Amino acid sequence: MSRKKIIAAVAAASLLALTGCGANAGAGNSAAAAGDFPKKGKSIDLIVAFSSGGAVDTAARLIQPVLEKELGTNVEVINKPGAGGQIGYTALTGAKPDGYTIGATGSPSVVVSPLDPARGAKYTRDSFQPLGRQVIDPTVIAVQPDSPYQTLKELLDAVKAKPKSLTASTTGIQTGEHFALAQIQESTGSEFAPVHFSEGASQATTAFLGKHVDVLVANVSDVNDLSKQGKARVLGVMSGDRAPSLPEIPTFKESGYDLTAGTARGYSAPAGLPADVAKKLEAAIEKAIEDPAVVQKMKDLGLQTSYLNGTEYQKFWAGQEDDFKKVLPLVQKKD
Amino acid sequence: MGRAGAALTLAAVGSFIGGTIATVGLVAAAKPLGEMGLLVGPPEFFALMVVGISLLVALAGKSMVKALISGALGLLISMVGIDPVAGAPRFTFGIDNLMDGVSFVAVIVGVFGLSEILSFRRSEPTPVVHAPGFRQLFPSRTEWRRSAPAMARGTGVGFGLGLIPGMTGSVSSLLSYATEKRFSRFRSELGKGAVEGVAGPETANNAHANAALIPLFTLGIPASPTIAVLMGAFLQQGLTPGPSLFTEHSEIAWAIIASLFIGNVLLLLLNVPLVGLWTSILRVPTPILTAVILVFMVIGAYTINFSVFDVYVMIGFGLLGLALRNLDIPLAPMVLTLVLGPLMERSLRESLEISQGDFTVFTSRPISAVLIGLGLLIICSPLLKLRKPKALMEDPEA
Repeated sequence: MSRKKIIAAVAAASLLALTGCGANAGAGNSAAAAGDFPKKGKSIDLIVAFSSGGAVDTAARLIQPVLEKELGTNVEVINKPGAGGQIGYTALTGAKPDGYTIGATGSPSVVVSPLDPARGAKYTRDSFQPLGRQVIDPTVIAVQPDSPYQTLKELLDAVKAKPKSLTASTTGIQTGEHFALAQIQESTGSEFAPVHFSEGASQATTAFLGKHVDVLVANVSDVNDLSKQGKARVLGVMSGDRAPSLPEIPTFKESGYDLTAGTARGYSAPAGLPADVAKKLEAAIEKAIEDPAVVQKMKDLGLQTSYLNGTEYQKFWAGQEDDFKKVLPLVQKKD
Repeated sequence: MGRAGAALTLAAVGSFIGGTIATVGLVAAAKPLGEMGLLVGPPEFFALMVVGISLLVALAGKSMVKALISGALGLLISMVGIDPVAGAPRFTFGIDNLMDGVSFVAVIVGVFGLSEILSFRRSEPTPVVHAPGFRQLFPSRTEWRRSAPAMARGTGVGFGLGLIPGMTGSVSSLLSYATEKRFSRFRSELGKGAVEGVAGPETANNAHANAALIPLFTLGIPASPTIAVLMGAFLQQGLTPGPSLFTEHSEIAWAIIASLFIGNVLLLLLNVPLVGLWTSILRVPTPILTAVILVFMVIGAYTINFSVFDVYVMIGFGLLGLALRNLDIPLAPMVLTLVLGPLMERSLRESLEISQGDFTVFTSRPISAVLIGLGLLIICSPLLKLRKPKALMEDPEA
């Protein structure tokens, strides 16, 4: 009997000790953080709010080794997908602003999610401290390789005549793709039936390849390989200029529809970083984004590096928020 | 029972067989298999989930009502978190830690591990475990013979499910266990030391892990987060996984496949000869062993997310598990629905978006129609008494 009591006491004590450890470590960190960031052996978490294999995740994993070199400590990419990025962003803004947690932030997801009260987002634009923008990735529309539509106009006219006759993929409600479809509907009257794949771009692409959706709405970086292999026919790019990796694809403007849409991707920390920590992180991120090997690999993936530093990124972000506030009612309809 | 050595050996051998066969599949028929995986769209995925949940019937044991309660509980728990399509939190009571849902590992460790330890207290002096002699370390002839069909079924289940993008490894293990429970001749012994319960799931999850590489190599699509890390590694080296890997960098592709075979062999070599070493852990007096296990469980739950909250989750579910055990409610159905629930919900919504609200999407597509039919058949089978009625009456577990 007494033996069992001893065992129980040991177990209970270890439980308490563990809880105590957790509390102490937290307090210790914020005090030491300012002077010697980053502490050797303490790894930095890079939260990616989307599933592995997608463009955001790939870009984060590409800068990861350079960041590790610049900061002298481990950088761990952690995927927290779901709810169009909201789960990951909540985790990012909920973390301590001590520099040990940063995250990949992509618009429109990060700009839009706090705007719609129905989503109950626990953060606003001010909860983030932008550190640097990496790329802008325009949206494209692609159809199956055996589809009867050869041009964008043919596709849009067909859907206008028969609303919701074709299904189009998105990566979730109020994601870039959803916005793009709403913009198309608003200005051309062509209404697609959106199918939301909340696990991300790779899930949407898989469904498209299996011919379970008719139209793939994605970014240039997602369709590059597919287009080259002939598995998707890209009909239009929603940007001002043609995409360098897909030079033969006309822009929407050239086809007669003046619409631009796309995602901007960068990195941020929870707001409230100590000034020197922010400086170190920004410098490391700039080095990583501008690193020639990284730029080349991003180019191979179809992504044009377009760096903006923390302050400029913040301005860009505010501008985007104004733009999206205007179009928000279009994507708020209950689908 | 008391066949720890044999169990470890069977697990190792089963894993080897499952993994090797899956790798052979990769080599022999990657492209067509990869394309088969694509045939599974949201409606087919949902239909598969229906089959999976129908196997809950197999896990029922004596009381169907209690099994259903357990299953419903699992579904309820799986609903906690952020709604995957609408983006609004549900059942989180405002607790941020619950936004991601209840941590699966914490639940499992609690429900199975902690509740088992807690239930020790109530029994008589715990039995003394004898360290097994050398002969007893390895499975007997009978055990090998019984394992063979289980391993074969496990390989089939694991390989098939591994090809489907989005399917996690735990689904394979669970469904293999459920398959054994439903189709094995010795199913009444499952839970009491039947070798099929080890051989099947172990084989399944290795077959799954190796088969999951097929969508990566043939289509460039990562089937699970683990594979996605692998894909990231490829991309960082400038290699794009997909069909072009075999044509442009064939020496690398084949080198990786060769390493898969070698890995499987190493698995066998590391596990089997050292079985004696692992089982000698049982020589530690049970109370001390139990305390050590408890400490490991707490540490394990903590390290999921470096959050003490998960430890509380584990403890809570440990108490829940204890309550369920005392009420004689089976635990396995709850785990099954906890894993399959979210997958089922997601695929149901996607399917209905594709069909725009039309439920016939499930019956008008051949693959999903067949699968749903299979699921319904499995659910109704106890009623139809498909096996010999006499055997059913003698078998108390039917």
